Amino acid sequence: MTESTTAPETACPSCGAGVPGGARFCESCGAQVAAAAQPLTPPTMVPADDLGDAPISAPTRRPVDALPDPLPDPGRRPCANCGGEVGPDLYCLSCGTKAPSARDHFREDPASWVAGVCDKGVKKSRNEDAMALLAGEQPGSRAVLVVLDGVSNSIDSDVASLAGARAAREVLRTPLPAGMGTPQSREAAVAKVLQDAVAAAQNAILAVTDPDSPNPASATCTIAVLEGTRISHAQIGDSRAYWFPDDGPAVKLTVDDSIAQQQISEGVAKEVAETGEFAHAITKWLGRDSHDFVPTVGFLDIEGPGWLLACSDGLWNYASDPAALAAQIAAAGPANPGDLALRLVAFANAAGGHDNITAALARVGPLPEPAPATVETAAAPPPPPPTSATTGPATPTEPTGAVPPPPPSVQNAGTPNQPTSAAGEGGPTDG
Amino acid sequence: MAEFTTAVFQNEFLPDGGTDVNAIVTISCKGAGTAGQSGSGDAGEIIIVDTSGSMGPATMAAAKDAAQAALAEIVDGTWFAIIAGADRAMLAYPPVTSGPALVQMTPEARQQASASIARFVGSGGTAISTWLDLAGQVFASVPQVTQRHALLLTDGENRERPGRLDEAINRATGYYQCDCRGAGTDWQVAEIRRIAQALLGTVDIIPRPEEMRAQFQEIMRASMARGVADAKLRVWTPQGAQVLFVRQVAPTLEDLTDRGIPVNPLTRDYPTGAWADESRDYHVAVRVAAKALGQEQLAARVQLALGDNVVTQGLVKATWSNNSELTTRIDKQVAHYTGQTELAAAIQEGLAAKAAGDEATATTKLGRAVQLAAETGNEEATAKLRKVVDVDNEAEGTVRLKRAVEKADEMALDTASTKTTRVRKG
Repeated sequence: MTESTTAPETACPSCGAGVPGGARFCESCGAQVAAAAQPLTPPTMVPADDLGDAPISAPTRRPVDALPDPLPDPGRRPCANCGGEVGPDLYCLSCGTKAPSARDHFREDPASWVAGVCDKGVKKSRNEDAMALLAGEQPGSRAVLVVLDGVSNSIDSDVASLAGARAAREVLRTPLPAGMGTPQSREAAVAKVLQDAVAAAQNAILAVTDPDSPNPASATCTIAVLEGTRISHAQIGDSRAYWFPDDGPAVKLTVDDSIAQQQISEGVAKEVAETGEFAHAITKWLGRDSHDFVPTVGFLDIEGPGWLLACSDGLWNYASDPAALAAQIAAAGPANPGDLALRLVAFANAAGGHDNITAALARVGPLPEPAPATVETAAAPPPPPPTSATTGPATPTEPTGAVPPPPPSVQNAGTPNQPTSAAGEGGPTDG
Repeated sequence: MAEFTTAVFQNEFLPDGGTDVNAIVTISCKGAGTAGQSGSGDAGEIIIVDTSGSMGPATMAAAKDAAQAALAEIVDGTWFAIIAGADRAMLAYPPVTSGPALVQMTPEARQQASASIARFVGSGGTAISTWLDLAGQVFASVPQVTQRHALLLTDGENRERPGRLDEAINRATGYYQCDCRGAGTDWQVAEIRRIAQALLGTVDIIPRPEEMRAQFQEIMRASMARGVADAKLRVWTPQGAQVLFVRQVAPTLEDLTDRGIPVNPLTRDYPTGAWADESRDYHVAVRVAAKALGQEQLAARVQLALGDNVVTQGLVKATWSNNSELTTRIDKQVAHYTGQTELAAAIQEGLAAKAAGDEATATTKLGRAVQLAAETGNEEATAKLRKVVDVDNEAEGTVRLKRAVEKADEMALDTASTKTTRVRKG
């Protein structure tokens, strides 16, 4: 039963629907109503004496007031299904399709060369993925991609993941330490900052978790920072970061903290491990019951243009092999980061959309010419299964074709055993 | 200022490929005030009394007394008139032959109207179409009257060429509301029900003259409490969807489906007349195109509109799911009112079959009615059915037609067939 009344106590700032006093979220559109859901503790609470063995290289100024950016208002966008006007009740005035709430589908585009899309997908009832992006004006200068995937069987993980993503981003607002004496000391300093960012996410998640919650919120966390020609990344759980050079094979940067990954390391075939019963069970996560939230940190020096992608498993489940994902990017054609992110989300939705989907992209090198048609105006509906409100044209997976050169070296500080599958994953497949 | 609220009762979950969405939408009104005093226009009341020759002395005396009692309930300042109906209709009060045919109620006007009612003498036949037409003309003579209500009493069958009455009903539909009462047992329920349903009013039998006064008082009191003049049920359905039906299901059953007036290609207005402090239930059924599992779709926006102003809205949704635990549940309210609708049909069809001498059909239909009345807890229907049939087994609906039935009991069952009960709590 649903009730509405002509005399609501307050009105939702996003959609105008009535909201009972004290509610944190709007019942009709899901937008945050009060600031109550934001992290209660400053996200930079890291014990001052917990410096480990890293050199002291923290920036002198840390932003403390990590104010989350307001989410864009989805009510202004035309209906994703028919292009009609969306009513104040967030259903299309023409076809009745439900417009995704500000939490169920949001986009960020901090600069012309960096953008991301975070989407509920088709099958899930809410969006527990979250992302937070930062970028310098100058293309290729500096980009921060943070992706968190709330664990679906925990309570309020949609609130927690967004709080965590934004807290981590605030830590990374200042550039990573540079100018150290040796590459090793510099990497140790960067690793420390990335640890701090993950710790900030952890604190923010704790701050929004009900202390009495029987099933506290938990989330993965993947951070990718691009500064010039260097990608630094940090990993908890099974979201991923990839580097897709325009010329050359795709590189999976992060190593999943998952049962599947463990099995792969132990020699189980990748296809078997990823479709096994516990394929999605993660071995590390953020949240109150996390026992280890020190991220696995890695670096990659890049040459030439390409795409940096941070994504949740809602995307890579449908293209687990880096080459398969690269094929999706190639098939999407030249596009700006925002359109490309939409197309990747549309691809996952068209493939079933079983999980929440996040795709955050940074373009290195010149932006490709805009594609002739954007996702929202694409005429052809995707093939079955019928797709969600946010899908665009589906693109069949195609092999990349060319035989690639050997992948560039990937360093994984904190992971003594280089994943043996890295070289194999860089090669082409039949998709 | 009246305040409206909406509650929607439905199972929004549809199985894969499912298309039909059913919902009960309850609209409630609070703070309606008094008729004609909400600022949107004046209220008008017309009392129409049958003065044909068939009215016996006792009935006529009771009708006069009841009409006079109804006058006492009309709030001072309300525009009113009295019509005496026979072969033709006569304006009994105010005593005018041209110009405004309604006057505003004052103590003096009440006394004068009372005196003119006292002079009623029964003679002539029954031509109800002329009564309805005169009432329309009288209302039209005072343009500031925007909330128009009539009370019609008759005791006999309409004696007119077939079709005349229907034409008059069509002329009055949407212009004024009319509550109808039949005195004694010589009138036709189906005929008078047609008037009441089209003119958004009630129909009932007054079997004994001494009950007339209380009924008239009650009708007039209810009418004066309707402070919200003219509300419309506005139903939006998505592009490509089909409205299967729109019914008022409580407090009485009214099929509104064919009364929709298009507002735009996706929206229709269904007239609901004036509102008091009350709550009405509507059963809306919509057929939409099936979507993929997991998708959610709005199947209908059900609103109440005063003029162009939407005062409340309920959302009817559809969500496709492969969880059969969710999709196979039938909402309690929907089930209840589906049963009540079938009950009304079973009673009406059963009585019609009985009147036509088809005892087999009558037994089956009335048996089903007994069963449904028990299942849905409609005690009034159960009590009235038991005066017409002997019940062998209530749960299975096996009954026998009573050999000797009071005509009034049969008519009371017929007029009450559209009265519904609300769903039982718990």
